[in-house]
Amino acid sequence: MSVTLTRTEPSIAGVGDYVALMKPRVMSLVVFTALVGLLIAPGHVHPVIAFTALLCIAVGAGAAGALNMWYDADIDARMARTAGRPIPQGRVTPGEAAGFGMTLAVFATVTLALLVNVIAAALLAFTIAFYVVVYTMWLKRSTPQNIVIGGAAGALPPVIGWAAATGGVAIEPILLFLIIFFWTPPHFWALSLYRTEDYARAGIPMLPVVAGEAATRRQIVLYTLILAPLGVVPWLLGYAGALYGIAAIATGAGMIAMALRLRGEGSGHDSRHGASRQMFAFSILYLFLLFAVLLVDRMSGGLAALAAGRFPA
Amino acid sequence: MTAVSDTMDDTHPPPSRPPQAGEDKVGGIRLTEQQLRARRARSIAIALALGAFVVVIFLVTLVRLGSNVLTRPM
Repeated sequence: MSVTLTRTEPSIAGVGDYVALMKPRVMSLVVFTALVGLLIAPGHVHPVIAFTALLCIAVGAGAAGALNMWYDADIDARMARTAGRPIPQGRVTPGEAAGFGMTLAVFATVTLALLVNVIAAALLAFTIAFYVVVYTMWLKRSTPQNIVIGGAAGALPPVIGWAAATGGVAIEPILLFLIIFFWTPPHFWALSLYRTEDYARAGIPMLPVVAGEAATRRQIVLYTLILAPLGVVPWLLGYAGALYGIAAIATGAGMIAMALRLRGEGSGHDSRHGASRQMFAFSILYLFLLFAVLLVDRMSGGLAALAAGRFPA
Repeated sequence: MTAVSDTMDDTHPPPSRPPQAGEDKVGGIRLTEQQLRARRARSIAIALALGAFVVVIFLVTLVRLGSNVLTRPM
Protein backbone atom coordinates (compact mmCIF):
# COMPACT_ATOMS: atom_id res chain seq x y z
CA MET A 1 0.00 0.00 0.00
CA SER A 2 1.21 3.46 -0.76
CA VAL A 3 -0.77 5.62 1.63
CA THR A 4 1.58 7.04 4.22
CA LEU A 5 -0.73 9.02 6.41
CA THR A 6 1.10 10.10 9.49
CA ARG A 7 -0.63 12.22 12.04
CA THR A 8 0.98 13.58 15.12
CA GLU A 9 -2.02 15.41 16.59
CA PRO A 10 -4.42 13.52 18.83
CA SER A 11 -7.04 11.49 17.00
CA ILE A 12 -10.41 13.00 16.12
CA ALA A 13 -11.84 9.60 15.20
CA GLY A 14 -15.24 9.00 16.72
CA VAL A 15 -16.86 5.68 17.61
CA GLY A 16 -18.69 5.79 14.28
CA ASP A 17 -15.39 5.74 12.39
CA TYR A 18 -14.38 2.52 14.11
CA VAL A 19 -17.81 1.05 13.46
CA ALA A 20 -17.38 1.97 9.78
CA LEU A 21 -14.02 0.12 9.75
CA MET A 22 -15.93 -3.07 10.59
CA LYS A 23 -18.11 -2.81 7.43
CA PRO A 24 -21.43 -3.16 9.28
CA ARG A 25 -23.48 -3.98 6.18
CA VAL A 26 -21.20 -6.87 5.21
CA MET A 27 -21.20 -7.92 8.85
CA SER A 28 -25.00 -8.08 8.96
CA LEU A 29 -25.12 -10.57 6.07
CA VAL A 30 -22.31 -12.59 7.70
CA VAL A 31 -24.17 -12.72 11.01
CA PHE A 32 -27.43 -13.68 9.31
CA THR A 33 -25.95 -16.55 7.26
CA ALA A 34 -23.99 -17.77 10.31
CA LEU A 35 -27.20 -17.66 12.36
CA VAL A 36 -28.96 -19.83 9.79
CA GLY A 37 -26.05 -22.31 9.79
CA LEU A 38 -26.17 -22.42 13.57
CA LEU A 39 -29.94 -22.82 13.90
CA ILE A 40 -30.46 -25.50 11.24
CA ALA A 41 -27.74 -27.68 12.77
CA PRO A 42 -28.99 -30.77 14.61
CA GLY A 43 -29.06 -30.86 18.37
CA HIS A 44 -29.61 -28.13 20.92
CA VAL A 45 -27.35 -25.16 21.53
CA HIS A 46 -27.79 -23.11 24.67
CA PRO A 47 -28.93 -19.59 23.68
CA VAL A 48 -26.01 -17.98 25.56
CA ILE A 49 -23.50 -20.16 23.68
CA ALA A 50 -25.25 -19.42 20.38
CA PHE A 51 -25.19 -15.69 21.10
CA THR A 52 -21.51 -15.85 22.03
CA ALA A 53 -20.68 -17.72 18.82
CA LEU A 54 -22.52 -15.15 16.70
CA LEU A 55 -20.85 -12.29 18.55
CA CYS A 56 -17.41 -13.80 17.87
CA ILE A 57 -18.26 -14.37 14.20
CA ALA A 58 -19.52 -10.76 13.91
CA VAL A 59 -16.40 -9.34 15.55
CA GLY A 60 -14.20 -11.59 13.40
CA ALA A 61 -15.95 -10.28 10.28
CA GLY A 62 -15.44 -6.73 11.56
CA ALA A 63 -11.75 -7.46 12.10
CA ALA A 64 -11.42 -8.70 8.53
CA GLY A 65 -13.15 -5.52 7.31
CA ALA A 66 -10.80 -3.26 9.28
CA LEU A 67 -7.71 -5.12 8.04
CA ASN A 68 -9.05 -4.88 4.48
CA MET A 69 -9.49 -1.11 4.86
CA TRP A 70 -5.99 -0.82 6.32
CA TYR A 71 -4.40 -2.58 3.35
CA ASP A 72 -6.61 -1.05 0.67
CA ALA A 73 -6.51 2.57 1.88
CA ASP A 74 -4.62 3.67 -1.25
CA ILE A 75 -7.15 2.27 -3.72
CA ASP A 76 -10.12 3.18 -1.51
CA ALA A 77 -9.02 6.82 -1.79
CA ARG A 78 -9.26 6.64 -5.59
CA MET A 79 -12.77 5.17 -5.81
CA ALA A 80 -15.95 7.23 -5.35
CA ARG A 81 -17.66 4.32 -3.57
CA THR A 82 -14.95 4.03 -0.91
CA ALA A 83 -13.35 7.51 -0.74
CA GLY A 84 -15.51 8.36 2.27
CA ARG A 85 -14.08 5.55 4.42
CA PRO A 86 -12.30 6.59 7.64
CA ILE A 87 -8.71 6.10 6.44
CA PRO A 88 -8.99 7.97 3.10
CA GLN A 89 -10.77 10.71 5.03
CA GLY A 90 -7.78 10.96 7.38
CA ARG A 91 -9.89 10.35 10.48
CA VAL A 92 -8.18 7.05 11.32
CA THR A 93 -4.54 6.29 10.49
CA PRO A 94 -3.64 3.02 8.71
CA GLY A 95 -1.74 1.95 11.82
CA GLU A 96 -4.76 2.51 14.05
CA ALA A 97 -6.95 0.46 11.69
CA ALA A 98 -4.38 -2.35 11.56
CA GLY A 99 -4.09 -2.44 15.35
CA PHE A 100 -7.87 -2.35 15.76
CA GLY A 101 -8.34 -5.16 13.22
CA MET A 102 -5.64 -7.41 14.65
CA THR A 103 -6.89 -6.93 18.20
CA LEU A 104 -10.45 -7.82 17.22
CA ALA A 105 -9.30 -10.81 15.14
CA VAL A 106 -7.30 -12.28 18.03
CA PHE A 107 -10.04 -11.59 20.59
CA ALA A 108 -12.79 -13.08 18.39
CA THR A 109 -10.82 -16.22 17.53
CA VAL A 110 -9.53 -16.94 21.03
CA THR A 111 -12.92 -16.24 22.62
CA LEU A 112 -14.69 -18.54 20.14
CA ALA A 113 -12.13 -21.28 20.83
CA LEU A 114 -12.38 -20.99 24.61
CA LEU A 115 -16.13 -20.44 24.98
CA VAL A 116 -17.61 -22.41 22.06
CA ASN A 117 -15.27 -24.85 20.30
CA VAL A 118 -11.93 -25.07 18.55
CA ILE A 119 -13.27 -26.22 15.15
CA ALA A 120 -15.45 -23.12 14.80
CA ALA A 121 -12.55 -20.92 15.96
CA ALA A 122 -10.17 -22.51 13.45
CA LEU A 123 -12.71 -21.90 10.66
CA LEU A 124 -13.13 -18.27 11.77
CA ALA A 125 -9.36 -17.73 11.83
CA PHE A 126 -9.07 -19.31 8.39
CA THR A 127 -11.87 -17.09 7.05
CA ILE A 128 -10.26 -13.89 8.36
CA ALA A 129 -6.83 -14.91 7.02
CA PHE A 130 -8.30 -15.92 3.65
CA TYR A 131 -10.14 -12.61 3.28
CA VAL A 132 -7.22 -10.45 4.35
CA VAL A 133 -4.21 -12.32 2.92
CA VAL A 134 -5.52 -14.32 -0.05
CA TYR A 135 -8.26 -11.94 -1.25
CA THR A 136 -7.17 -8.44 -0.16
CA MET A 137 -3.39 -8.70 -0.36
CA TRP A 138 -2.99 -11.15 -3.19
CA LEU A 139 -5.93 -11.68 -5.57
CA LYS A 140 -7.77 -8.35 -5.51
CA ARG A 141 -5.06 -6.45 -7.38
CA SER A 142 -3.79 -9.27 -9.55
CA THR A 143 -6.63 -11.19 -11.24
CA PRO A 144 -10.23 -10.75 -12.44
CA GLN A 145 -10.92 -14.02 -10.61
CA ASN A 146 -10.35 -12.07 -7.35
CA ILE A 147 -13.94 -12.07 -6.15
CA VAL A 148 -14.60 -15.62 -7.42
CA ILE A 149 -11.90 -17.20 -5.26
CA GLY A 150 -12.10 -14.55 -2.53
CA GLY A 151 -15.82 -15.29 -2.30
CA ALA A 152 -14.91 -18.40 -0.31
CA ALA A 153 -14.32 -16.15 2.69
CA GLY A 154 -17.82 -14.69 2.47
CA ALA A 155 -19.30 -18.16 1.97
CA LEU A 156 -17.83 -19.69 5.12
CA PRO A 157 -19.97 -18.08 7.89
CA PRO A 158 -22.82 -20.66 7.72
CA VAL A 159 -20.17 -23.38 8.01
CA ILE A 160 -18.73 -21.62 11.08
CA GLY A 161 -22.23 -21.35 12.55
CA TRP A 162 -22.87 -25.06 11.96
CA ALA A 163 -19.47 -25.93 13.47
CA ALA A 164 -20.24 -23.76 16.51
CA ALA A 165 -23.40 -25.81 17.09
CA THR A 166 -22.09 -29.29 16.31
CA GLY A 167 -18.30 -29.17 16.61
CA GLY A 168 -17.98 -30.45 13.04
CA VAL A 169 -18.93 -29.94 9.39
CA ALA A 170 -21.51 -31.78 7.25
CA ILE A 171 -23.02 -31.74 3.74
CA GLU A 172 -25.72 -29.17 4.61
CA PRO A 173 -23.42 -26.28 5.56
CA ILE A 174 -21.21 -27.15 2.59
CA LEU A 175 -24.28 -26.73 0.36
CA LEU A 176 -24.89 -23.32 1.93
CA PHE A 177 -21.22 -22.52 1.33
CA LEU A 178 -21.58 -23.43 -2.36
CA ILE A 179 -24.73 -21.33 -2.74
CA ILE A 180 -22.98 -18.20 -1.41
CA PHE A 181 -19.83 -19.07 -3.35
CA PHE A 182 -21.68 -19.11 -6.69
CA TRP A 183 -23.82 -16.14 -5.66
CA THR A 184 -20.80 -13.88 -5.11
CA PRO A 185 -19.62 -13.43 -8.75
CA PRO A 186 -23.01 -12.33 -10.20
CA HIS A 187 -23.49 -10.09 -7.16
CA PHE A 188 -20.12 -8.30 -7.41
CA TRP A 189 -19.92 -8.24 -11.19
CA ALA A 190 -23.33 -6.54 -11.32
CA LEU A 191 -21.87 -3.91 -8.99
CA SER A 192 -18.67 -3.60 -10.99
CA LEU A 193 -20.66 -3.04 -14.21
CA TYR A 194 -21.86 0.32 -12.93
CA ARG A 195 -18.60 1.09 -11.13
CA THR A 196 -16.26 0.18 -14.00
CA GLU A 197 -14.63 3.63 -14.22
CA ASP A 198 -14.03 3.56 -10.47
CA TYR A 199 -12.28 0.19 -10.58
CA ALA A 200 -10.27 1.16 -13.69
CA ARG A 201 -9.07 4.37 -12.01
CA ALA A 202 -7.99 2.43 -8.94
CA GLY A 203 -6.21 -0.14 -11.13
CA ILE A 204 -8.25 -3.10 -9.83
CA PRO A 205 -8.57 -5.80 -12.52
CA MET A 206 -12.31 -6.37 -12.13
CA LEU A 207 -13.82 -8.42 -14.95
CA PRO A 208 -15.50 -5.50 -16.82
CA VAL A 209 -12.20 -3.57 -16.72
CA VAL A 210 -10.10 -6.47 -18.02
CA ALA A 211 -12.44 -8.53 -20.21
CA GLY A 212 -15.06 -5.94 -21.12
CA GLU A 213 -18.73 -5.54 -20.29
CA ALA A 214 -20.08 -8.11 -22.76
CA ALA A 215 -17.87 -10.85 -21.31
CA THR A 216 -18.91 -9.83 -17.80
CA ARG A 217 -22.60 -10.06 -18.60
CA ARG A 218 -22.03 -13.50 -20.16
CA GLN A 219 -20.19 -14.64 -17.01
CA ILE A 220 -23.01 -13.31 -14.82
CA VAL A 221 -25.49 -15.44 -16.79
CA LEU A 222 -23.25 -18.52 -16.52
CA TYR A 223 -22.80 -18.22 -12.76
CA THR A 224 -26.51 -17.50 -12.26
CA LEU A 225 -27.35 -20.64 -14.25
CA ILE A 226 -25.23 -22.63 -11.79
CA LEU A 227 -26.52 -20.73 -8.76
CA ALA A 228 -30.27 -21.08 -9.34
CA PRO A 229 -30.33 -24.93 -9.53
CA LEU A 230 -27.84 -25.11 -6.66
CA GLY A 231 -30.27 -23.10 -4.55
CA VAL A 232 -32.88 -25.84 -5.04
CA VAL A 233 -30.54 -28.72 -4.08
CA PRO A 234 -31.18 -28.54 -0.29
CA TRP A 235 -34.84 -29.36 -1.06
CA LEU A 236 -33.97 -32.08 -3.63
CA LEU A 237 -31.70 -33.79 -1.11
CA GLY A 238 -34.39 -33.63 1.55
CA TYR A 239 -32.66 -31.12 3.80
CA ALA A 240 -35.51 -28.64 3.41
CA GLY A 241 -39.25 -28.83 2.83
CA ALA A 242 -41.54 -27.81 -0.04
CA LEU A 243 -41.78 -24.23 1.24
CA TYR A 244 -38.06 -23.81 0.70
CA GLY A 245 -38.20 -25.64 -2.63
CA ILE A 246 -40.88 -23.33 -4.01
CA ALA A 247 -39.08 -20.21 -2.75
CA ALA A 248 -35.75 -21.39 -4.22
CA ILE A 249 -37.31 -22.10 -7.61
CA ALA A 250 -39.18 -18.77 -7.70
CA THR A 251 -36.29 -16.58 -6.58
CA GLY A 252 -33.82 -18.55 -8.69
CA ALA A 253 -36.01 -17.94 -11.75
CA GLY A 254 -36.02 -14.26 -10.81
CA MET A 255 -32.21 -14.23 -10.69
CA ILE A 256 -31.98 -15.89 -14.11
CA ALA A 257 -34.51 -13.44 -15.56
CA MET A 258 -32.50 -10.53 -14.14
CA ALA A 259 -29.25 -11.90 -15.55
CA LEU A 260 -30.76 -12.48 -19.01
CA ARG A 261 -32.25 -8.98 -19.01
CA LEU A 262 -28.86 -7.57 -18.04
CA ARG A 263 -27.25 -9.48 -20.87
CA GLY A 264 -29.86 -8.54 -23.46
CA GLU A 265 -29.74 -4.86 -22.69
CA GLY A 266 -27.88 -2.57 -25.09
CA SER A 267 -24.87 -0.51 -24.17
CA GLY A 268 -26.80 2.73 -23.64
CA HIS A 269 -25.40 4.11 -20.41
CA ASP A 270 -28.58 4.74 -18.43
CA SER A 271 -30.39 1.54 -19.31
CA ARG A 272 -27.30 -0.60 -18.69
CA HIS A 273 -26.71 0.88 -15.31
CA GLY A 274 -30.36 0.42 -14.43
CA ALA A 275 -30.25 -3.32 -15.14
CA SER A 276 -26.96 -3.90 -13.29
CA ARG A 277 -28.12 -1.90 -10.28
CA GLN A 278 -31.32 -3.94 -10.18
CA MET A 279 -29.37 -7.19 -10.49
CA PHE A 280 -27.11 -6.11 -7.63
CA ALA A 281 -30.04 -5.17 -5.40
CA PHE A 282 -32.03 -8.29 -6.28
CA SER A 283 -29.03 -10.55 -5.63
CA ILE A 284 -28.95 -9.34 -2.01
CA LEU A 285 -32.69 -9.93 -1.67
CA TYR A 286 -32.29 -13.40 -3.26
CA LEU A 287 -29.68 -14.57 -0.77
CA PHE A 288 -31.57 -13.09 2.16
CA LEU A 289 -34.86 -14.71 1.11
CA LEU A 290 -33.25 -18.08 0.42
CA PHE A 291 -31.67 -18.25 3.87
CA ALA A 292 -34.68 -16.76 5.66
CA VAL A 293 -37.06 -19.28 4.09
CA LEU A 294 -34.65 -22.13 4.85
CA LEU A 295 -34.62 -21.02 8.47
CA VAL A 296 -38.42 -20.74 8.67
CA ASP A 297 -38.81 -24.08 6.88
CA ARG A 298 -36.43 -25.86 9.25
CA MET A 299 -37.76 -24.19 12.36
CA SER A 300 -41.38 -25.02 11.51
CA GLY A 301 -40.34 -28.59 10.63
CA GLY A 302 -38.57 -28.87 13.97
CA LEU A 303 -41.60 -27.50 15.80
CA ALA A 304 -43.90 -29.92 13.98
CA ALA A 305 -41.61 -32.80 14.93
CA LEU A 306 -41.59 -31.66 18.53
CA ALA A 307 -45.38 -31.36 18.52
CA ALA A 308 -45.65 -34.89 17.15
CA GLY A 309 -43.44 -36.13 19.97
CA ARG A 310 -40.44 -36.74 17.72
CA PHE A 311 -37.23 -34.99 18.52
CA PRO A 312 -34.61 -33.85 16.02
CA ALA A 313 -31.49 -35.99 15.99
CA MET B 1 15.88 16.34 38.21
CA THR B 2 14.06 14.48 40.95
CA ALA B 3 10.56 15.15 42.08
CA VAL B 4 11.80 16.47 45.41
CA SER B 5 14.10 19.04 43.85
CA ASP B 6 11.27 19.93 41.45
CA THR B 7 8.99 20.93 44.29
CA MET B 8 11.79 22.90 45.94
CA ASP B 9 12.47 24.64 42.65
CA ASP B 10 9.25 26.62 42.44
CA THR B 11 11.00 29.91 42.97
CA HIS B 12 12.43 29.59 39.42
CA PRO B 13 10.95 32.00 36.89
CA PRO B 14 8.44 30.50 34.43
CA PRO B 15 9.64 29.69 30.87
CA SER B 16 10.17 32.94 28.99
CA ARG B 17 8.44 31.66 25.81
CA PRO B 18 4.64 32.08 25.95
CA PRO B 19 2.63 28.88 25.36
CA GLN B 20 2.05 28.19 21.67
CA ALA B 21 -1.28 27.17 20.16
CA GLY B 22 -2.04 23.56 21.05
CA GLU B 23 0.30 23.61 24.08
CA ASP B 24 -0.51 24.08 27.71
CA LYS B 25 1.68 25.99 30.17
CA VAL B 26 4.30 23.26 30.56
CA GLY B 27 4.70 22.57 26.83
CA GLY B 28 2.36 19.55 26.60
CA ILE B 29 -0.46 19.09 24.09
CA ARG B 30 -3.72 20.84 24.73
CA LEU B 31 -6.64 19.00 23.13
CA THR B 32 -9.23 20.86 21.14
CA GLU B 33 -12.87 20.59 22.10
CA GLN B 34 -13.44 18.16 19.20
CA GLN B 35 -10.47 15.97 20.16
CA LEU B 36 -11.63 15.82 23.77
CA ARG B 37 -15.15 14.84 22.73
CA ALA B 38 -13.85 12.16 20.36
CA ARG B 39 -11.52 10.73 22.99
CA ARG B 40 -14.27 10.65 25.59
CA ALA B 41 -16.61 8.86 23.18
CA ARG B 42 -13.91 6.31 22.30
CA SER B 43 -13.13 5.73 25.98
CA ILE B 44 -16.79 5.10 26.78
CA ALA B 45 -17.08 2.69 23.83
CA ILE B 46 -14.00 0.74 24.98
CA ALA B 47 -15.38 0.60 28.53
CA LEU B 48 -18.72 -0.71 27.28
CA ALA B 49 -17.00 -3.30 25.08
CA LEU B 50 -14.84 -4.53 27.96
CA GLY B 51 -17.88 -4.61 30.25
CA ALA B 52 -19.80 -6.64 27.66
CA PHE B 53 -16.84 -9.02 27.34
CA VAL B 54 -16.82 -9.58 31.10
CA VAL B 55 -20.57 -10.25 31.09
CA VAL B 56 -20.22 -12.76 28.23
CA ILE B 57 -17.44 -14.64 30.01
CA PHE B 58 -19.49 -14.66 33.22
CA LEU B 59 -22.66 -15.94 31.55
CA VAL B 60 -20.85 -18.63 29.56
CA THR B 61 -19.11 -19.75 32.75
CA LEU B 62 -22.50 -20.15 34.43
CA VAL B 63 -23.92 -22.04 31.44
CA ARG B 64 -20.89 -24.31 31.04
CA LEU B 65 -20.46 -25.16 34.70
CA GLY B 66 -24.12 -25.07 35.70
CA SER B 67 -24.76 -26.91 38.93
CA ASN B 68 -21.27 -28.41 38.77
CA VAL B 69 -20.11 -25.21 40.44
CA LEU B 70 -21.33 -26.80 43.67
CA THR B 71 -19.97 -30.31 43.11
CA ARG B 72 -16.35 -29.63 42.25
CA PRO B 73 -13.73 -30.99 44.71
CA MET B 74 -12.68 -28.32 47.15
